[in-house]
Amino acid sequence: MAKKRNATILVAVITVAAVVILFWRPTVLIYGLQAAGLYASIAIPMGLILGIVHIVNLAHGEFMMLAAYATFMVCQAFGLDPFVAMVPVALVTAAFGFMIYKLTIRQALKSPELNQLILTFGISIAITQLINLSFTSQTRKMSFDYVSASVDIGELSFGIYNFVFVVIAILMVIGLRLYLTKTISGKAALAVGQNPKGASIVGIDVDKTYGFVFALASGMIGMMGALFITRSSIFPGVGGPFTMKSFCLIAMAGVGNIPGILGASVLLGISENFLKAFRGTRGWADIVFFVLIITVILGRSIKGKKA
Amino acid sequence: MILEVKKLETGYGKLQVLRGIDLSVGKESVGLFGPNGAGKTTIINAIMGIVKPWAGTVEFEGKSIGGNPTHMVARAGIALVPQERELFPGMSVADNLELGAAYVPRGKPIMAQQLEVVLTLFPILKERYTQLVGTMSGGQQRMVAIGRALMANPALLILDEPSLGLQPSIVAEVFDRLAILKKDIAILVTEQNVRESLKAIDRGYVIENGVVLLEDTAKGLANNPHVISAYLGI
Repeated sequence: MAKKRNATILVAVITVAAVVILFWRPTVLIYGLQAAGLYASIAIPMGLILGIVHIVNLAHGEFMMLAAYATFMVCQAFGLDPFVAMVPVALVTAAFGFMIYKLTIRQALKSPELNQLILTFGISIAITQLINLSFTSQTRKMSFDYVSASVDIGELSFGIYNFVFVVIAILMVIGLRLYLTKTISGKAALAVGQNPKGASIVGIDVDKTYGFVFALASGMIGMMGALFITRSSIFPGVGGPFTMKSFCLIAMAGVGNIPGILGASVLLGISENFLKAFRGTRGWADIVFFVLIITVILGRSIKGKKA
Repeated sequence: MILEVKKLETGYGKLQVLRGIDLSVGKESVGLFGPNGAGKTTIINAIMGIVKPWAGTVEFEGKSIGGNPTHMVARAGIALVPQERELFPGMSVADNLELGAAYVPRGKPIMAQQLEVVLTLFPILKERYTQLVGTMSGGQQRMVAIGRALMANPALLILDEPSLGLQPSIVAEVFDRLAILKKDIAILVTEQNVRESLKAIDRGYVIENGVVLLEDTAKGLANNPHVISAYLGI
C-alpha cells in the first residue's frame, strides 16, 4: 500500500512540475519529451536483454552505430529512405546479434558477471575500431527534408520530427508487453528470465530463448540505428554515450521494469532540456544524468536499509 | 519398465557422489530414502539431465535419455517437482500452470483437461488463480509446483522432498494427494519424512554413500531393523 501511495505522490509531483514548465518554458517540455523518446527507444532493447538473459550488453550503443553505418551505405547505394532501409537493416542486425550471442555471450553465461562485462566491453571496442579502420573517424551525415518539419502554435515554433521516437518508444513498450504477457513464447521468455532452471524442467529450451531474445533486441536496436542517422551525424564513437545512458536508465527503472524505462527517460529528457534552456547552465546538462542516477540509487539503498 | 537406471555414476566437479546406482520404476510409486548427502537429489538431477552421468545408463520408456538436456527430458514425459520448487514468482498461478503443459507434446493437446484435474486436486489454486506465485505461502507454492508438473500429463512424476519446509498438516495433505495420483502415474519420490511417505509408496530404495543399500516393498522397509533404527527412530 505504501508503495502505491509513494508512486501516486511521485506521479503528482512530476505532473505539477510538467504543467509549471509547460506554461513557463514550453520548449523545455517539448524537446525534453522528444529526447526522452529517443533515450527510451534505445534503452528498451538493452533492458529486454538484461531482464531476460541477465547480461549487461556494453556493446549496445555499438550495435546501434553499426546499424547506422549499414543504413548509411544502403541509403547511399540505393537511394533509399532510412524508414525503408530500417527493415533490412533491422533483420541484418538481428542476425548479427544472434551470431554474437552464439559465438561469445553463450560461452560466458555461466562465468562471473565481471567476465561478462569485460566480454561485452571488448566486443564494443572491437566494433568501434573495426568501423574506425574501414570508414575512418570522419563524421557522416545524411539530410532529409522531413526532419525539419515544424509547427507554429501562437508565438511558439518547434520541430516535430523527433516525436517519431516518442511514438516508437511507446509502441515498443506496448508491443513487448503484449508479447510477454499474451503469447506462449513470450510467457516462456519471461519465465526463462525469472527462473532458467524452472523453465528447463517444464520443457522450455533456455538457450534457444536467450538466442531469440538477443536477436529480437538486436533487431530493435538495429531499427533505432537506421532512424538515428536521420537526426544525427554518425562517427565510430557515436554509440558509446548511448550505452551508458541506456544502462543508467535501466538501473533507474529497476531491472525487468520495461515501462519504467519510459518514466526514467522522461525525467532525464526534461531535466536535461531544463538546464539547456539557460545560458549559464547549458554545459551542465550532461551532469544531470549522473546526479539523477546517483540520487535514485542512493534513495533505493537507503530505503532498502530501512526495510 | 517406465524408468530404468543402471550402474549410474556421477558427481560435481571432481567429487563423485553416485557410485553405481541401479533402480527401476514401473507403473507404481517408488520412494528414495537416505540421509542428507546420500545422493538422492543427485540421482534425480542425473535423470533430468541437470548433471551429466559419468557412467551407466538411464532409459525412459525403452529409450536412452542419459545425458540429454533437461528440456528434452521434460518434453519426453518426465515431470519434476524440485526441492526448491523453481516456479516463476513474477507470474500468476494460471501462467505457471499453462507453462507446465505448453512445451510438452503429451500435455499440450489436453491442457484444458489437465487443468481441470489439477484444480480439482488443489481447489486452493482455483481461488488463487490470478495471484502472483511469489506472494503465496510455501505450502501453496508446493501445490503450484505439483500442479505445474501434472499439467504436462507426465508418464513419470518425480518429487524431490515434497514435504520439505511444510507444516505437518500440509505434509499429510500433500501425501493424500499423492496417494490419489499414484493410481494413474508412475511416481518417484525422495523423502526425509519416511514415516509419512511409506504410506504413499509401493516400493522403496535406501540410498547411503552413493549406493543402493536396501530395496524392498513399503511393508518390508517398515519392518526392516536398519530402516527402523536409522529412519523411523523407534
